[in-house]
Amino acid sequence: MVIRSGLRTFQKGNETVDYQAIYSGGNGEVYALGVVPHSHIAVVAYSLEDGEIIKQISVEAPWLSNIQASCVVIGQGMLMCVDSPTVSLYMLDLHVQSQMTQIPLQSLGLEIASGFRPILVSTQPNPARQPLSEFFLQLGPEHYLLLQLNNGQIVTLRDFKPAILVAFATSGEKTVAAVMSPKNKTACSLNLFSAETGRRLLDTTLTFNMAPNGGKPEKLYVQAYLKKDDSVGYRVMVQTEDHTLTFIQQPGRVMWIREEALSDVVTMEMVDLPLTGTQAELEGEFGKKADGLMSMVLKRLSSQLILLQAWITHLWKLFYDARKPRSQVKNEVTIENLSRDEFNLQKMMVMVTASGKLFGIDSKTGSILWRHYLDNIPSNAAFKLMVQRTTAHFPHPPQCTLLIKDKDTGLATLHVFNPIFGKTSQVTSPALPQPILQSLMLPLMDQDYAKVLLLVDDQYKVSAFPSTKNVLQQLQEMASSIFFYLVDSSQGRLSGYRLRTDLSTELIWEVVIPTEIQKIVSVKGKRPNEHVHSQGRVMGDRSVLYKYLNPNLLAVVTESTDMHQERSFVGILLIDGVTGRVIHEAVQRRAKGPVHVVHSENWVVYEYWSTKSRRNEFSVIELYEGMELYNSTVFSSLDRPHAPQVLQQSYIFPSSISTMEATLTEKGITSRHLLIGLPSGGILSMPKMFLDPRRPEIVSEQSREENLIPYAPELPIRTEWFINYNQTVSRVRGIYTAPSGLESTCLVVAYGLDIYQTRVYPSKQFDVLKDDYDYMLISSVLLALFFATMISKRLAEVKLLNRAWR
Amino acid sequence: MLQKAEVPLLWACLQAVLVVALGFTDMDPGPGVGVSTQPNGDRFKIEGRAIVPGIKTQDWVSAARVLVEGEEYVGFLRTDGSFAVNDVPSGSYVVEIISPNYRFEPVRVDITSKGKMRARLVNYIKTSEVIRQPYPLQIRATGPHSYFMKRETWGWTDFLMNPMVMMMVLPLLIIVLLPKVVNTNDPEMRKEMEQSMNMLNPNPELPDVSELMTKLFSGSKGSSKAGSSSKGTRPAAKRR
Repeated sequence: MVIRSGLRTFQKGNETVDYQAIYSGGNGEVYALGVVPHSHIAVVAYSLEDGEIIKQISVEAPWLSNIQASCVVIGQGMLMCVDSPTVSLYMLDLHVQSQMTQIPLQSLGLEIASGFRPILVSTQPNPARQPLSEFFLQLGPEHYLLLQLNNGQIVTLRDFKPAILVAFATSGEKTVAAVMSPKNKTACSLNLFSAETGRRLLDTTLTFNMAPNGGKPEKLYVQAYLKKDDSVGYRVMVQTEDHTLTFIQQPGRVMWIREEALSDVVTMEMVDLPLTGTQAELEGEFGKKADGLMSMVLKRLSSQLILLQAWITHLWKLFYDARKPRSQVKNEVTIENLSRDEFNLQKMMVMVTASGKLFGIDSKTGSILWRHYLDNIPSNAAFKLMVQRTTAHFPHPPQCTLLIKDKDTGLATLHVFNPIFGKTSQVTSPALPQPILQSLMLPLMDQDYAKVLLLVDDQYKVSAFPSTKNVLQQLQEMASSIFFYLVDSSQGRLSGYRLRTDLSTELIWEVVIPTEIQKIVSVKGKRPNEHVHSQGRVMGDRSVLYKYLNPNLLAVVTESTDMHQERSFVGILLIDGVTGRVIHEAVQRRAKGPVHVVHSENWVVYEYWSTKSRRNEFSVIELYEGMELYNSTVFSSLDRPHAPQVLQQSYIFPSSISTMEATLTEKGITSRHLLIGLPSGGILSMPKMFLDPRRPEIVSEQSREENLIPYAPELPIRTEWFINYNQTVSRVRGIYTAPSGLESTCLVVAYGLDIYQTRVYPSKQFDVLKDDYDYMLISSVLLALFFATMISKRLAEVKLLNRAWR
Repeated sequence: MLQKAEVPLLWACLQAVLVVALGFTDMDPGPGVGVSTQPNGDRFKIEGRAIVPGIKTQDWVSAARVLVEGEEYVGFLRTDGSFAVNDVPSGSYVVEIISPNYRFEPVRVDITSKGKMRARLVNYIKTSEVIRQPYPLQIRATGPHSYFMKRETWGWTDFLMNPMVMMMVLPLLIIVLLPKVVNTNDPEMRKEMEQSMNMLNPNPELPDVSELMTKLFSGSKGSSKAGSSSKGTRPAAKRR
C-alpha cells in the first residue's frame, strides 16, 4: 500500500523534490517517493531498524507531475504509473531498476476514452506484506479493467463495462473486487469477483437503490467477511455526490443512512407549516388560475369546507389522544400529518448545504422530511435563500427561491421550490445570462401573493422575478422610491442606486474606502421581518428618549490592511442606504478582526480582538433621536434634518466567540437577548441590558429607576445563560432566529458541525402558564372564597334581621 | 478619507422604500491570522494537567478539551488528565479547559521567543498584572457547572412573610383586636385615655382616636417602605 501523507518538501540544490508517498512491503525497507515535476522521480530507501538511508536513486520521468494522482505500487515493489498523453503505462522496480519501462496501452489492445485521465487502483491487504499484483485500470467514466502483473507481463483478467465504481476488499487470505454497475435509472447492482482470477462469485449480488433527487455514487467501501461455509459475504458503504453515506447489507437492505452534508449548512430559513396536512395537499389543485366568478366562489366554499372538516378531525384526534396515556400517543411526523401547532412553535427548517443538497427538517423532532440534491452546483457557489410566499396565502403553495451564484464568474441560477414538500415549483425561473451583483426582495407582491425579487446584473440593469405585467406596473409606480446599494470590497466602493421606471438604474451616491488603508469586511442591514414595539425609552425623570429607527441604516465594518499589532484597527461606519449619508463613524485602534456584528432596532453590537490588551471586546452603539421625534408617523431617509445622538460603550468579554445573533419575536415587545456561539460549544443568551451604552459609572437615583445596571468593564458569562446546557454544539458557524406565535418565545437554530434547535424566552414565559402551575391551589382558593362570601352573606342577613327585631 | 458623491435631493418622496438586502458575500473574510506568528519562529509545547477533585478522570476527560486562545490551538486530555498542546509559537495565550460538566479557571501562558514559559492568572482588566501560577499547568476544577436556576416555589410561609402581606395583615389585626383588648365601655378607662390624649396633644379640638390610628399606621407604613414611598409620592407631587 502506498501511504498518502503530507510529507515535507525538501530543498536540494536548486530543485525542489516534493515527497508525496511512502511505501513499505514489510521487508525492512521504507521507500519515500518524491517527484520533481516534469523531470524525475526521487526514491529514498530507509532501513526500518535504524532509519538510515540505504540508497537513493533518481529516475527520469519527464511526463510525471504528481505521484499520488497517477502511480500505485503493486506486486513486489513495482511502481506502476499511467500517463494519458503517451497512452502508456510506466513500470519501475523500486528494488533494482533505475529506468522506467514504458508499456504502450495499444500493445495490450486497450484504448482510453477520449478526454479521460486513466486512474489506477491497487490494494495492499496487509501493511506488513507486499501489495497484490492485481490492480484496476480505469479507462473511461464507466470502463474498468482488472489487470494482473505476471512475471513482468501485464495480463487482462476481466473487462468491466459498464462499471461505475470498483473497490478491493480482503477477508483473511481472500481478496475480492467489488464492482458496481448500473442496473437501471434508479438502481445499481454490485457484484463480487475473485481478485486473482477475475471470476464472478456466486450469490453475491447486491442492489443499491439511489434515492430520488439524490446524488450519484462516488466512492465504495467494502467490508468483506468469511461465512461459515468459507464463501465471502460483504457489506458496503456507498458515498454519493451529495455527501450521503449509506451502509447496505446483502441483498440490498439499508442498515443506516447518514447525511453528512448537514455538517456544512450554509444558510437556512424557517417556514411556517400549513394549517393542516390536507390543506397543503390541496394547494396544488387550487393554485391554478380560476376562470369564472362562479367557479371561484365554489372553490372558495369547498376549500372552506375542507378546512372545517380538517379542523373537526383535528379536534377529534386531540380528544381521542387526550384519553390515552401520554406514552402511547405516537408522535411520528410525516409529510402527510404535518400541521401547524397552536402557537406556531413547530416549523419547517429549510437548510441549504455547501454540497448543494437541500433539506427540509421538522423543527420539533429533527427528522428529515425531504431532501433534494441540486446537480451542477459550482464548488465555490454562494447561496441566498429567500421566502417569496409564506404559507399564509392558502390556495397558493408556499414558495422559496434559492439563488445560486458562482463566486468567480458571478453567473447565477435560481431554484424555485415548495419549502414544505421540497418539490421543484412549476414556475419557470428566468434565465440569467449576465453576472448578478445584487438581489433584493421587495415588499411588493404580485397577484399571486409572491414577493417580488429584483436581480441587478453587471450592466446595472434590473430584472424582476416573477415578471408579470402586474409586477412591472407596480414596479413602475414604485420605482422612484426603490433604492439599493452595491458593495465592491475589492475596490472599497459602496454605492447607492435608484430604480428608474424603465428598470434601469441611476447612481446617486458613492462612498470610497481606500483599499490601501482598510478593506470592507461586512455590511449589515437590519432584518426585514423585525418589529420594534416601543419608539422610545422612558428615562428616570419621566421624559422619553426616542430611538433613531432608520430601516435603511447599514453598518459597514472595515479592517485595516496593515496587520501590524500597533497599527491595525477596526472601523465601523453607519451609512444611510438611501442617501449615502454617514450617520456615525467609529474606529477601534489597536484592534483586529474577525469582527462579529449584530445590527438591530437602534443599536449595533460588534466584537473584535484588542491587540493592545490581548482580549476580546464588545462595543455597542445606540442611536437616539433625542427627547422629541421629528416625524413620528413615518420615517424617511430623505427628510431627517437632525443627526441622531450616538452613545457608545465598550466591554471586555472573557472568551472568544464563533458567531453572534439577536433574538427575534413576533411583535418586538419582549426584551432582546444576544445569542453568542462560543468555541467551548456553549450558546450564551446574554441580555441586551448588559450591553447598554447608558450603563452609568456612578449610580444615581434616576439610573436605578431606569433599571440600568452599573457599569462594569467585564461582561459576565454565567452558566445559567447557556441555552444548550451541557449539550455542546461543535464549531457553531451560524445562529438563526425566528419568531414564534407566542410573543415571549423565539426559536433558535444553531448550526455548525451539529445542528441544535431550541426555544428561548428572553423575558421569561409571561404569556404561558408554567408547567407546574398549581391549578388545585387556585381553584381551591376560589372555591373557598366563594363559600366564604356565601356564608358571610348569610350571617350578615341574620345579623341584620336580628338588629331589625331589636 | 471618504468621498461622498453629491446627493441630489430632488425627489421629495416621503417614504423611501429601500430594501436592505444583504448582498452576496463577495468579500473575503479577513485572513485568519492569529496571535502574532513569526514566519519561521520556533514552535513550543504547552503542558499541564487538569484535575477534578473527587471524580475519576475517565469519567470526564473524554468530553473535555484544551483551548488555547479560543480555537486557535486545540488539545485533548490523556486518561490521567494531563495534556500537551504542540506547535505553539511564542506569544501570550489564554489556556482554558472546557468541559460540559466542570468549571475550570483559565490561565494565561506567556512564551518568550527563546521558549521560556510562565503561567499567570488571567486578568482582563489589568492585563500586565502578574500573579504566578505553577508551570507545567496545574488546573483544578472549581466545581460543577450550574446550568439551572432554582424555580421559585410557593409556600404558605413565603406568602405570610411577604412584606406586603405583613403590612396588610398587622394593621388589620390591630384594628380588630385593639378595641377588644381595651374595654372602651368602661367609663374610668375612657377618662384615662382622654386624659392621656390631651397630654400628648396640646390642641384639644383635634384629637380623635380614629384619626390618631390612621396617622399612626401611615407613619408605620412609611417607615417600612422607605425607598419606595418616595417613588410613589414624588411624581404625584409633580403632576400637581
